[in-house]
This record gives sequence, structure tokens and C-alpha cells, in this order.
Amino acid sequence: QQLQQLQQLHVPPAVSEEPGGHGRLRGGDTVLQERRPEGLQVSSGLQDLSLRDRGGRRRDFHDLGVNTRQAMVHVQESKTGFSGRMVKLSTNHFRLTSRPQWALYQYHVGYSPEMEARRLRSALLFQHEETIGKTHAFDGSILFLPKKLESRVTELFSRTRNGEDVKITVTLTNELPPTSPTCLQFYNIIFRRLLKMLNLQQIGRNYYNPSDPVSIPNHRLMVWLGFTSSILQYEENIMLCADVSHKVLRGETVLDTMHSIHSQVGEERFRDACAKELIGLIVLTKYNNRTYRIDDIDWDNNPKGTFRKSDGSEMSFVEYYKKQYNIEISDWMQPVLISQMKRRRGNIQGSVALIPELCSLTGLTDKMRSDFNMMKDLAIHTRLPPEQRQRELGRLLNYIQKDDNVQKELRNWGLSFDYKSVSFTGRVVQGEKIYQSGAMFDYNPQFADWTKETRGVPLIRAVPLDSWLLIYTRRNYDVANTLLQSLFKVTPAMGIRMSKPSMIEVDDRTETYLRVLQQRVTPDTNIVFCILSSSRKDKYDAIKKYLCTDCPIPSQCVLARTLSKPQTIMTVATKIALQMNCKMGGELWSVEIPLKQVMIVGIDCYHDTVSGKQSIAGFVASLNQPVTRWFSRCVVQSRGQELVDGIKACLQTALRNWSKWNKCLPSRIFVYRDGVGDGQLNTLVNYEVPQFLDCLKSIGTDYSPRLTVIVVKKRVGARFFAEVGGGFKNPPPGTVVDTVVTRPEWYDFFIVSQTVKNGCVAPTHYNVVYDTSQLKPDHVQRLTYKLCHMYYNWSGIIRVPAPCQYAHKLAFLVGQSIHREPNLVLSDRLYYL
Amino acid sequence: MDKNFPEEFTQVIKFDPPLYKQRYQFVKDLVEKYKPKKVADLGCADCSLLWMLKFCSCIEVLAGLDICANVMKEKMHTLSPLPADYLQPSERSLTVTLHHGSVAHKDPCMLGFDLVTCIELIEHLEESELKKFPEVVFGFMAPSIVVISTPNSEFNPLLPRVMSYRHPDHKFEWSQAEFQSWALETARCYDYSVEFTGVGHPPTGMEKVGFCTQIGVFVRKYPQTAQPVLSEKPTEAVYKTVFKAVYPSLKDGKYLQNAVISEVIFTAQIIKHRLMPKPEESGDDPERKSKLQPSMDSSSDYLGKLVVEKSMEPFVRGNKLCIPLTTIFAFPKVNRLCGTFEKLCKLIAGKVTLSTDGSAVMVSIEQENEEN
Repeated sequence: QQLQQLQQLHVPPAVSEEPGGHGRLRGGDTVLQERRPEGLQVSSGLQDLSLRDRGGRRRDFHDLGVNTRQAMVHVQESKTGFSGRMVKLSTNHFRLTSRPQWALYQYHVGYSPEMEARRLRSALLFQHEETIGKTHAFDGSILFLPKKLESRVTELFSRTRNGEDVKITVTLTNELPPTSPTCLQFYNIIFRRLLKMLNLQQIGRNYYNPSDPVSIPNHRLMVWLGFTSSILQYEENIMLCADVSHKVLRGETVLDTMHSIHSQVGEERFRDACAKELIGLIVLTKYNNRTYRIDDIDWDNNPKGTFRKSDGSEMSFVEYYKKQYNIEISDWMQPVLISQMKRRRGNIQGSVALIPELCSLTGLTDKMRSDFNMMKDLAIHTRLPPEQRQRELGRLLNYIQKDDNVQKELRNWGLSFDYKSVSFTGRVVQGEKIYQSGAMFDYNPQFADWTKETRGVPLIRAVPLDSWLLIYTRRNYDVANTLLQSLFKVTPAMGIRMSKPSMIEVDDRTETYLRVLQQRVTPDTNIVFCILSSSRKDKYDAIKKYLCTDCPIPSQCVLARTLSKPQTIMTVATKIALQMNCKMGGELWSVEIPLKQVMIVGIDCYHDTVSGKQSIAGFVASLNQPVTRWFSRCVVQSRGQELVDGIKACLQTALRNWSKWNKCLPSRIFVYRDGVGDGQLNTLVNYEVPQFLDCLKSIGTDYSPRLTVIVVKKRVGARFFAEVGGGFKNPPPGTVVDTVVTRPEWYDFFIVSQTVKNGCVAPTHYNVVYDTSQLKPDHVQRLTYKLCHMYYNWSGIIRVPAPCQYAHKLAFLVGQSIHREPNLVLSDRLYYL
Repeated sequence: MDKNFPEEFTQVIKFDPPLYKQRYQFVKDLVEKYKPKKVADLGCADCSLLWMLKFCSCIEVLAGLDICANVMKEKMHTLSPLPADYLQPSERSLTVTLHHGSVAHKDPCMLGFDLVTCIELIEHLEESELKKFPEVVFGFMAPSIVVISTPNSEFNPLLPRVMSYRHPDHKFEWSQAEFQSWALETARCYDYSVEFTGVGHPPTGMEKVGFCTQIGVFVRKYPQTAQPVLSEKPTEAVYKTVFKAVYPSLKDGKYLQNAVISEVIFTAQIIKHRLMPKPEESGDDPERKSKLQPSMDSSSDYLGKLVVEKSMEPFVRGNKLCIPLTTIFAFPKVNRLCGTFEKLCKLIAGKVTLSTDGSAVMVSIEQENEEN
């Protein structure tokens, strides 16, 4: 019955008919009511259990069971590096301990006659609590107990409300050791129970404390402090990785936001602006504890509109909310928000209609993210320095330790935690030397930046500006001249020869810009420089689109405001000169790359959240020995299409280009793959890597280069703190961690490569999923760190290897502005910077 | 003791909406009619009725009591405040409490209620418990209204699969006469009036069997005494509290202050942006300008207020914009929250930057420093 309800249109929340429909149960019992085939796999049972846990989409977020290390013989013994100096680190991992001989007992529970409803199944089973015990986890079919029942098969008899006698057969199917994957999932479920017991509120996947919010009234924001947690098998121990998390909530409803959008943009652009600002956002509803993603806005509908209920009757939204929740909808003209329900299994598809007035916004929009002041105000509360972060974590652990109910639950399962975080030693590898036209520099390792050191030093390859356009509006005439003077001042030291540009004054219309470009750009034009008077995206997009596809010429767009401050103009001009040089194929600096005949590849993805239709994979590959030049392509794919085929073609053209530049094929290939989501590792290892190998094979039978594929992950829960004089500090750049908190089944390591001014530095996780390089782990780590020095838009060390950042930049530009593959004429330049 | 289980599910006679829902709706209608502030549900089981009642805006105290703690615990989290309740604290206060205990025992936490509901409860009571029940509910708790529902055994022959009782845990099921005589006697004894009704209409032609569920609504005849009469010795607490949730409310000073401060600052920001839009917004952008104009009018109610009185006009002093508190107080939301001007001043004192004489909110108008 409920299943039907889900398949039909949709009503407000699917559990409408079920009072107390809570959280992300998403149709609650529906899935569990489906009969599972008998004799199912052990682990699939637990997935069902985890599904009951809120936020549980059926996905293995921790990529459990992807065991890539076993195929790499050279790291069987050890995957640790050796270079660098030791540093004492502590982390946000806490050991989980269980008593000796601990095991989790898994039972299958069968009913005769069959009982359909999960609630009934539970109720019947727990009539026998004296046999089963008070501590249990049951999903309707699979039962977990901390103790072993007397016999392998236990038969119990219950009677239903209708007086029907039911035989329940509880059969032991598994004794799970503490380290089994099922057990790990189980620990996570139990831990979430604990957080719930602590009265934390779940939003999305994490838990937050609602009782002590920070409010930022200037921007109508509210920040809740909460925690992320996951329990996993690490190198030697099962540990809880807990981190402080902040949820940004907004004290206004979607309807409020619509009103303010209306007052900002007016009637004509209202709908577009709403779509842009709202689609993709996550909302919380007023009447239940669920989050929904806004996928669409139905402007033809309103609260007076009707929907079909599960019993087939029609009801209006106004009526429904009045009846169900006693809520009076005040604005009857508002449109209706549409949220798609994604559910892979059971083909349950449908959409939910939501009333803007009853939805609160969560998170930040892109527009808010670009609001410097807002982000600054937020950062005060969300960027916790190491000391404070550890203190907040300590508070969580303290809650857990002090709460009687929580302790009782843990005791009943025979589990406990170390309340002190794990500490160990990491290594800080030495800083790289920066080479620039015969000169060599060291940088201050504390700042990881060489802007000052390289100022006034000629670039490795300076591309002359012989013929270029400078386009500006009348109002920015002065700005344009100041910029030009400044550029003339800074470029000679870099070795850039610059001629006077063609100065073109335009009125501030997109069409005018395009007309000027069509008339004035010639094949000899080196670069087009546009000074824009506002950050209006459509103008920027139109210029970029034209100059990346129809008329492939590098371009540089700068906001007039950026150039308007006399005190910073020289710094800005320097940065712009460097960026323009790169866009035209110039090279700035290099580090020593000891490997010969190596091609480095970077891949990252961009997912269009607004239209949700396209995904873009950016692909870059080095072209020369010092890895200062990069070839690039991208793959534009529509929803549901697999990425791999496009990437195969990219790799082929990259190899062709490499051999053109080097007169041979590379003997080593390193692929740094970014943009792999949680739970996608399996797909990557099983489909993408074989495609790379296939592609290499197709080049020629005698061609077999050594291939290394490294998955790069920026969003990780792990945080490291350097213990300095009894306090905690951010670890210095170059800190490598390859023990204790890495995973035994992977060849993985962490590098902290960047520095941060405030807050905690986030380490980047590198997972070598395929490696025939025969290189020592130390060398792979060092190469990775070296590549973090090679991003030309930042004269310092960045968070990921340069190829990943380039790939990201490319994918972002294409996804945001161009929407199709740029002209290949540009492919050997960093035009996307 | 899942009293919501649709007993009529497999029967020939099917109630639409299901009978349990009709019972809840009956209670809800009663609440709408009498607007009780404090409501207790005895035998609250999985809290479904309480969950429905928490949306009734007249109720400020909700309590549940059940003999089985596990059933209550299963879904008690649905009675917790939601994130949105914290984001936009409501005007009313609401406290929800769940107690573990028996209706045969007195506990002072059950005193002072306006409405006590006993939906499908009494038929689960053992004889000894049923004997004590009237004294506990009518004598001790003594709410203004008591609602009692129970199966009507005369209807059972129409439910083919019911052999003796509708549920194995039922200790008895009464005919209409049995229930009414018990109810009338109880009402007489404790000075209540009682009216009989029910839900689940019998099929046409069989009206004399009566409703499937029979309901008695008891109304206390004597007025509420200021202090509930403690007839005997002061009772000690015997129930165990298993759950308590206090909803964020503007009645709570902390939430009110937060709401006011946040509204005042936000209002000040609105005024600032209206008066001095960002340069890029008013730039030499013809496309933009034309479209900005009409929309300004549509939301000019804010500004309309500003020009009413000269003394209310914001002014610039140094790099600060001073917005008189009177102007901010004129905004409907602020006005509604505070009620009086004095209260506004009191609530924001020390929390919002004010001019030296305390009459205006100061907002910085420094050009925002934007780095990219």
C-alpha cells in the first residue's frame, strides 16, 4: 500500500499517513516489507539494518571491501616511506575496544505463517525478551545479539492481536569477529544510536546539538555545532574517527528567500533567479525531521493544488497541512517545490511536493559563498584552531563518557572507547627547491609560499604580448590605464615583452562585447583582456564561451573593482601578468622531477547542480620532462552516462601529444584521480583502471608503460595536530602520515601540503589503487608532494597535486560557463586558469 | 500492546478512515472544541496520539503514561522538537513528558490536567486495576474532561475473525449496557456528567448494535479548585519519567532575546542596503537598472514607514549609519516580537551596538573589503 503511495505522484512527505514518520526513513517500512529471497548473503542483511538508520542510502560510504593492496606485491610488506624528520602527531581517532573473545551473533528470524509488517515482526519477536535479552538490533529479518543463544535454532511462539499463533524460528547464521565488515557497519549504527541518545539532532548524515546555536544575525544564519563520526578498521585498530562539524542553517523559509529575490531582481527575472538560487539547496521541513533537495520549482502549482493520497482521494495542500499538522498556510499564491526521491532498489521513483513557506533553508548558496563578508563572519565560528577543535571533540567524548544510558548501551554490547585520541609519529619531508631560469630558491617552510623569493626573476618561458586587446567600459577608462601602466612596470623583470594593446571602449552590454570580439580578434591576437564592471555571470560566460570555442584565443577577465585600489594594484598586476603568461603557454617555475619519460595525468569532475544534467570531467596531462606544460581535454557527459569511455579517448590523445613533444612514448604514467565520491572506489578500480590499461594496450603491442593510479581525496574526516610544547598546532607542510590511521587493505597515505591562516589544516588522502611502477612508497609520496608545488596560479604549495587543480579549473570553467568541449587549438595552454 | 494495529484490516467490514484514526480524530476534534492547555494520554503506547496532539496549538503540556516502557521508547523520539522548532521558536511553550507507570497508581505529576484521554485502555486492565482506575483518574487527577473509549462487544459478531475478544490481551469487552452502567456509576460517584457516542458506524439495518468503538465523554460538574484537593496523604512520585522534551519557545527569555536581536540586526541591514546599495548594483549597467526599478516599488512598504516621521529617519555619522530604534520598532516583525518599545530596548541592551544615547542602532558603512 505504501509502495503504491511512493510510486504515485506525490504528496508531501511519503510517510504522511504514518504519524511519527521520522527522519530519513523515507517511506519507512516499505523497503523492509519487500520479501527478501531466502538464503541471502550475510552482509546484505546488514545493509538493510543500516538503511533503517537514518540518512542511510544504500551505499558503502567507506569503500569497505575494496582491497587493492593485495594485488601490489611491492607494498605487501610495507607501504611506509622513510624520508624526512619525525614529528609527534595526534589525531581525531579514538580506539574502540571490545572484551576478549568478543563476537557479534547474527541470527536469521523466520516467521510461520509469514508476517509482512516489520513492526509486527518486531513486536512478536520481542514478546520473548527474556530469551533474547534486552540488547538487540533487529531489522525485521536479521537479528544481532551480543550473546549466544543456548541452541543454534530457537523456536518461539507468539500470538498476534487477531489471535493467530505464530512460530518464530531464530537461527544462528554467523559469529562475527570484531573486525568483520558487517561488524564495522554495525558499530556505526550503534554509535549513531548513542548520538541520538545524547539528544543530538540528525541533519543529513551528521548529528548536531540544537541547544546551543551560534547566530549570525547580519546574514540571518545560524550555526549548529555537531559531529561527524565513522568507525572503521584502521591499520592496527578499529577506531572511531570523530570530527567537529558545523551546520549552517538559515533563519528564513524558502518563501522569505523568494520574497527577497523578488525585491532584488524584479518580476521579469524572478523565476530564473529563483531557480538559480534555490535549485540544489537542501531544505528542512517544518513538520518532520527530514531534509529534501530542491530539484525543481513548479510555478503552475500552488498550495490550493491537489495531490492524490495513498487511498486514491484528492486533497489540497492547504487542507492536508491543516488536517495533518494543524498548520495554516498563509500564502496561497506561492509555487510548489519539487524534490525527486532517489531510491535505487525496488524502482521506487517519484517526487515530493513541498510548500516553500514550510521549508527552511540549510547550507550556503554559491552566491553566499562568494560573499566575502559573510564568509568572514562565518569563519570566525566555523574555522576552529587546532586547540579549540580538540577541545570541542573532547566535549563529545565527555558526553559519551558521562551519559549513563549511553554507557549502559555500550556495556550491554561489550564495547568501549579509549577517550584519549591516538598519537603517533609522522614525517615532515624536506621542502622542494624552486627553479626559475637558472636561479634556485628555498622557501620558508612555515608559509609554503615563494611569492617574495621569485619576485623580479625572469620566468622559465615568457610569452610576448605583441598583439592584444584591452576591452573596458567608459566608466573604467581610468582603471584600464592604471592597469596598463602597472603591467608595463612589472612585466620587464619577468622577461615578458609587451606592446601597447588595442584599447577598445564598449558599452556594458553582452552583445557589444561579442560584436567587438567578432570584429577585432584576429588569428594573431595573443590574448583578450576584458575589464568587467560587475560580476554578472552571463557576460563572463558569453565572453568565455566565444573565446574558448568559436574563436579560440586565451582571455583574461578582471573585475574593475579588483583594479581600483591603488595600494594593491602592483600586486594585482603581477598576478595578472603571470596568469596571462600561463594562459598563452608560458612557464613560470619548476621543481626537480627525478623520473624520466614520465607523463603525469590529472582528472577531476564537475557536477552541474543547477540543471543536474551534465557532468564534466576535466583531464590534463603533462607534455614535457619538467612537467611545466600541460595538455588538456574534457568530457561532457549527460546524466547517467559513464565517464570512462570519454577518458579513454583523452588518454589516447594525451599520449599522441606527449610523443609529439618528446619523440617517444612515456615509459611511466601517473594518474591522479580526484572527484571520486564516497563509495565509488569500487567502480573506479573495476571499470576505470581497466579502461586505462585497455587504452595503453591499444597504442601498440610492444608498448607497456608502468602505470600508477592514485585516488586523491580532499574531503576526509582525519585531522592531524602537531604536539608542540603541550599544545596542539597545525602540522607543517610536507607532513606525511602512512601508519596507524591508514587502512590495512589499501596502499594509502596522507600528506599535509598546504598551510592555512586560521582553522585546522585538512590533510589530503592519497590512495594508490593500481601501481606497476615498482617505485618505493617514499618516492611516490615525494613525487606527489612535488606536484603540489606546480600550480601556476599560486606561488606556493597547494592542497592537491597541480594536475588535479588544473583539471578542476578546466572542468569548472566548462561546467559553469562553456557547457561543451573547448576548441582543441587551446589544448596545450593553461587557458582555463 | 499495539492498539493501533488495524484490527479491521482483514475483515469484511472495513472502516475508512481506519478505526484507530477515527478515534484519534475524535480526540483531536474534542481538543479543538475545548482548547485544553494540559492534556494527558493514559496508555499512550507508541505515542501516536501524542504526536498528533503536539501540533494542536492550544496545548502547552502533553503527558503520556504507559505500563510498557519499551513501546513508548520505540517512537518517543518523534515527540522531540525538530530543527525547525529551534530555527523559528514558536509563540507557545510546549513540554512533552512520558511516564512509565500504571493507571492504578497515583502520581502527583498527573495533577492539574484539563483533558485526560484513555483510548482503548480499560479493556487491558486486570480486575484489580480497573477497580482502582476511577479513583485515580476521576478522584485524584480530576481533570475537567475525561475521554474513555473501549470496544463494543455487540459489534464483534460483525467482525468474522474475532472469536472471543478483539485482542488476546483484552481482559474483557463490554456491551453498550455494561459500559454505560459502569460509566454512569463512575460519573455519579465523582460528580461528573457523561455522554455516550462512538466511532465506527454499524452497517445499515443493524444500527442497534451501536458503534464499533464506544466512547464516553466525562465532564466535571464542579469548578476547578485553585489547588487540587489532596484528599488523602500527599502522594509520592511513583512513575518513572522516561522522556522529557521542552520545546523552544518565545516565552523563554533566551529564545525571545535571540529572536529579537537577530531581527533587529537583520532589519538594520535591510535598511542599510535600501539606503546605500552596493556600487556594482547601481553601476552603469543598463540591463540591470531598468529591471530594478519596478521591483523596488513592490516592496517599498519598509521604506514607506521610514518617511512617516522626520525623527525616525536614519542618518550617517562618521562611518556609521545610525538607525533610530523607533524606526526599527516600526517593523512589523520586531513589533510583534517585543510588544513594547521598552521591552525592545531591554532585550537588545548590550547585545547590539547602539549610539551613545542608546536611541539608535549603529551599522558600519565602511566599504567592504573584498579580496579575490
